[in-house]
Amino acid sequence: MQAAARRPRTNHLDLAQRILDVARQRGFEPGARLPEQQIASLCNVSRTPVRAALSLLAERGVVRWEADTGYHLAVDLATQPAIASELPVTEEDELADAILRDRSARRLDQTVTVAGLMRRYSAERKTVLKSLNKLTEENLLDRAPGQSWLFRRTPDDPEAQGESYEFRLLLEPAAILTPGFRLDGARAAALRQGMEALSALPDAAFDTREFQRLDIDFHGMIADGSANRFVADALSDHLRLRRLPGIYAGVNVFRLRQSLLEHLNILDHLESRQYEVAADLLRIHLRLSRNQRPQAASRGAPALFGMISRPE
Amino acid sequence: MTRKASPTIALFPEASFGAALNCVGIAQALRARGARPVFICHAGFSGVFADYGFQEYQLPTDEPLSDSERQSYWQAFVRRHLPHFRLSPIDQLETYVAPTWQAIVDTSVNAEAPLRQLLARLKPDAVVLDNVIMFPAIAAAGCPWVRVVSCAETELPDAAVPPYLSGMGADDPQRAAFEARYLAASAPAHDRFNRFRADAGMAPLPKGLFLETSPDLNLLLTPTIVRRERIEPLDPDRFVYLEGCVRSEGPFEVPVFPRNSGPLVYVSFGSLGAMDVGLIERMLAVFDRLPARFIVNVGGLRDAYRAVPDNVYLDAWFPQPSVVAKSDLFIHHGGNNSFCEALRFGVPSLIMPYCWDGHDNARRAKETGTGDHIGRDAWTEGVLERAILGLLADDAMRARLKGNAARMALNPGTDVAAQAILSLIRT
Repeated sequence: MQAAARRPRTNHLDLAQRILDVARQRGFEPGARLPEQQIASLCNVSRTPVRAALSLLAERGVVRWEADTGYHLAVDLATQPAIASELPVTEEDELADAILRDRSARRLDQTVTVAGLMRRYSAERKTVLKSLNKLTEENLLDRAPGQSWLFRRTPDDPEAQGESYEFRLLLEPAAILTPGFRLDGARAAALRQGMEALSALPDAAFDTREFQRLDIDFHGMIADGSANRFVADALSDHLRLRRLPGIYAGVNVFRLRQSLLEHLNILDHLESRQYEVAADLLRIHLRLSRNQRPQAASRGAPALFGMISRPE
Repeated sequence: MTRKASPTIALFPEASFGAALNCVGIAQALRARGARPVFICHAGFSGVFADYGFQEYQLPTDEPLSDSERQSYWQAFVRRHLPHFRLSPIDQLETYVAPTWQAIVDTSVNAEAPLRQLLARLKPDAVVLDNVIMFPAIAAAGCPWVRVVSCAETELPDAAVPPYLSGMGADDPQRAAFEARYLAASAPAHDRFNRFRADAGMAPLPKGLFLETSPDLNLLLTPTIVRRERIEPLDPDRFVYLEGCVRSEGPFEVPVFPRNSGPLVYVSFGSLGAMDVGLIERMLAVFDRLPARFIVNVGGLRDAYRAVPDNVYLDAWFPQPSVVAKSDLFIHHGGNNSFCEALRFGVPSLIMPYCWDGHDNARRAKETGTGDHIGRDAWTEGVLERAILGLLADDAMRARLKGNAARMALNPGTDVAAQAILSLIRT
């Protein structure tokens, strides 16, 4: 957890991500000008942080600076959905990831303290606090009395996975069917391209992590498209849990490929505004993903029928 | 004599992951050859085969358990049998083997009527049975049937082969005593099974046997390196040895450990063995002080563990062949599927058996220099540590296993099985 001075500040990174989101939503093409003032007003911030965020994006080659005309978009955002993941991570992000990884592996108990985390990760108090605040904002942790924090329940056991699918079956089709659903066309195009590229890989090269990214983004796009803000917020909060380590373990490539095809089929119907069909297909997709698998079986021991859900 | 364009092969594995996944490997090879493999499965295995893209046909369950009944059933099962898993093989005969045979006979009796109906509807060109008991409906299906011998080779008796489930050497002086106790312990289930066979129009089986060899084809999941000499050699026209039967899985990315150095050890005791949380906790304490990284399959019981060491990663399920391929040592319960996967990827086995064929494979690993074994209960931290470090340091064993794995890779058991099955089918 060293070298904090070389890391970009979290708020600049967040803003860089927001700039890319805005540019993508507005269909900015490669070469498009990114005037600081316009970006600042679109992102509801002043020009100073926008300049820092654009500078960060320039370092990554995502935008370029021209002396006469200022910043320009240097890449095609519709075909490069993963740019955000290439941005450098902050010290507190890195620590938050380590905390989640160690909780998932049960190296950390359900309750953690600042002092305990400082010792474990040789980290400064302020870094630990920032990480814990970030995880709290993401609804992964709750502040408990004293200096302790409590991990929220995550869908990493069969029972919780079952409940997670029930919740999503209730809300995701509703997100589409609520009048006013809007599909983000640029995001959909980028997702389609990513899913088709992943489908084309042979089994031995299939990238489960890329699947996880596409899967979360696909379902996040549906949540974000809902005209009902409470539905969108509830789903976004819940889908965030699927970023946790270990959630996508134990799924074979055949099912992941099927999932990609199901996603593409849903996307076809969303793009042609056949929302009722899309919602029905989404329901089937979630049900197929929530298949029943036995937890245990052996000679003479009848199969233990448990819910072990797979990612969709 | 031409082969049917797309013959239907019905695979019927018992309700265990080992048998299920062996059959997935064979089915993948059958599908690659243009056949239509389908699975007949117990209700609880629904989804396992569909996940690999195969059609499933469930056998109906008379009285499905509710969630709470299931929980109670398994709590009682574990409470009843965990102490038995710590007994010697001979002392498990009355406590575990006998009631298990009774339960296995139940599976055959209960499946008979629905299986007959299903096979009549499916009209398969062949049936592949991976189980330890016969289902009369299969003999009556009107097509060739294939027996997969997926436990240890001891499943097929011979005077030069140790008794099934004994964990003995072939010339053990206690052999006769074990065989006598085995016959006595299994007699009630065996008598019941023979009466059931008679009702179904089938000849009785000799004492101690619950499954005959197939008149058509028998596949033994016994790689050359662990194969046994027999007094009465098996007829090569009907008995085909396979160099394992390893399915293809997606890639596995080794997780980052907070203590991220040293060789990689994979630990899995199968889904039933994962219920012995106390044993695995004791092992984790030893792993903590060893210079290696450990990947441990704990089934659905991850929440039972606390303060897991920094060189240990727990999860509920792994794409096992892909994990074994990246491991330097595989600690397992001696299930034949696990043993064959270790051999297929040239990885030494440290076997800690708790029941059934695990005892036989544990003994065989030591005899053939493909691994080692230690008792499940009577080990100290020093014993486990020395066993792990000893196998990790045994370069000669590793080199020999790698050479053997390369030979096994040239002749995949899944391909040999698929070809042998398809050669049975003539129109």
